[in-house]
Amino acid sequence: MESVFLQAGDWAFIASNGSYLLVGTIVTVLLTVTSLGLGFLAGFPAGAIEVYGSGRLEDIVSTVGVVLRGTPIVVLIFLFHFGLPIPDLGDIQWLDIQLSTFVAATLALGLRSAAYQGQVFRGAIQSIDEGQMEAARSVGMTRLQAIRRVVFPQALRRSVPGFQNEFTIVLKDTSVAFAIGLAELLTRAENLYLQPGRGTAAMEVIITISAIYFVLTFTTNRSLDRLEDVYATPGGNE
Amino acid sequence: MSLLRVENVDKSYGDEEVLHDVSFEMDRQDVEVIVGPSGSGKSTMLRCVNRLTEIDDGAIYLDDEEIHGIDENDLRRRVGMVFQDFNLFAHRTARGNVTLGLTEVLGLSKEEAQAKADDYLGRVGLAEQADSYPAELSGGQKQRVGIARALAMDPELILFDEPTSALDPELIGEVLEVMRDLAEGGMTMLCVTHEMGFARSAASTLTFLDEGRIVERGPPEQLFDTPEHDRTRQFLGELTDLH
Ligand SMILES: Nc1ncnc2c1ncn2[C@@H]1O[C@H](COP(=O)(O)OP(=O)(O)OP(=O)(O)O)[C@@H](O)[C@H]1O
Ligand SMILES: [Mg+2]
Repeated sequence: MESVFLQAGDWAFIASNGSYLLVGTIVTVLLTVTSLGLGFLAGFPAGAIEVYGSGRLEDIVSTVGVVLRGTPIVVLIFLFHFGLPIPDLGDIQWLDIQLSTFVAATLALGLRSAAYQGQVFRGAIQSIDEGQMEAARSVGMTRLQAIRRVVFPQALRRSVPGFQNEFTIVLKDTSVAFAIGLAELLTRAENLYLQPGRGTAAMEVIITISAIYFVLTFTTNRSLDRLEDVYATPGGNE
Repeated sequence: MSLLRVENVDKSYGDEEVLHDVSFEMDRQDVEVIVGPSGSGKSTMLRCVNRLTEIDDGAIYLDDEEIHGIDENDLRRRVGMVFQDFNLFAHRTARGNVTLGLTEVLGLSKEEAQAKADDYLGRVGLAEQADSYPAELSGGQKQRVGIARALAMDPELILFDEPTSALDPELIGEVLEVMRDLAEGGMTMLCVTHEMGFARSAASTLTFLDEGRIVERGPPEQLFDTPEHDRTRQFLGELTDLH
């Protein structure tokens, strides 16, 4: 039995399909980028509205956030894929994916990420000392100027660790796009070992893609750490 | 004509009356020092002048204009404020702290603002620290940046709310020195401080506030040496002993 996991032939099979897995990796990375981007574009204002907004708008934003955070990601992805009338947008040939499927996955992962990024940003805004706003107002800045020029820049810097965490989660969760047949890394991995006679390679394939996910999260987090060090202001996280 | 006139001001938080029928006037170039026990309403009084807090009753005039008739941002441009815990913008250098109001509020160009900021930082003895962030400065240096930030807006009056209370004793002197220079230069200053040396030497008028009321007000020598009220004598006596 032990030989099942360690057959040299299975590793050779994976090596010969390296470019096939590479395309899946590219889809995974693209989906991570679009989802995080959407998450930021929607989450940033959502967090700000939860702090500074009032009435109907704030209620809507916070309710949508609760629903998004409370729904399993596979359910969300089914909802957007099967529930939304996304028109057929054609294929992306070289990645072998349907654009509409990719869009559905981006919406599910991105909006859920927005719900979490919004919380990260909300917490960061609330952690900024009230004295910062008072000092800004005391030189004659409007509330909006004070928010834009004093509170947001500090809150964004404090959000970096939370955003980093969110990156790792979204990257790994792109694998649920498997459930709607988007040919990202996990889907392609399965395609490999489901080929006739290749069942013995399953474990080797899974180990390989685990390593790819790990390398992606590890290197990106390291680079973000570096970036944070470069752009950090002394005492910015106090 | 007085620069600042406070008339019969009342202010409550809920049931708690924090200021009761407070009235006083300041002329240009006056240095008014307010003292009083913790919770007596000193900070509240200052904050009413630049409308960080709104009064319930009475009126406050700046240069004969009721402050509620002035646009609040305009008012705050004309009335600077220096805080006990500095409140420097943590993400900006010393220079950046001074330039922000200049570019955002006064509409100066970046170059003009930087030149002006460097000028004011020089005046408070911080030319060398212009590129330092608040976290890299000592408390005394932070407070001097706070003063430069207020001064650079060319205010008609500056409010100081216990500007040295958060400082280690050895750092108080450098801040008081800047404040003395300002006073001698003719800046109009309304200061809450318990630095009795400063009050004696720099104040034109000393006010003792207790439980939201002005107990006694007059030239510092008078309050120190021949106070009318026992409470004044007792409070100032304790303060002077402490320092
Ligand atoms: N925003 C607020 N809401 C409710 N109560 C307040 C508020 N600000 C001040 N108070 C209360 O008003 C009273 C006067 O406060 P204030 O800060 O003006 O006193 P102070 O003389 O500056 O005291 P300290 O020497 O401790 O700074 C205190 O009892 C305080 O608890
Ligand atoms: Mg106070």
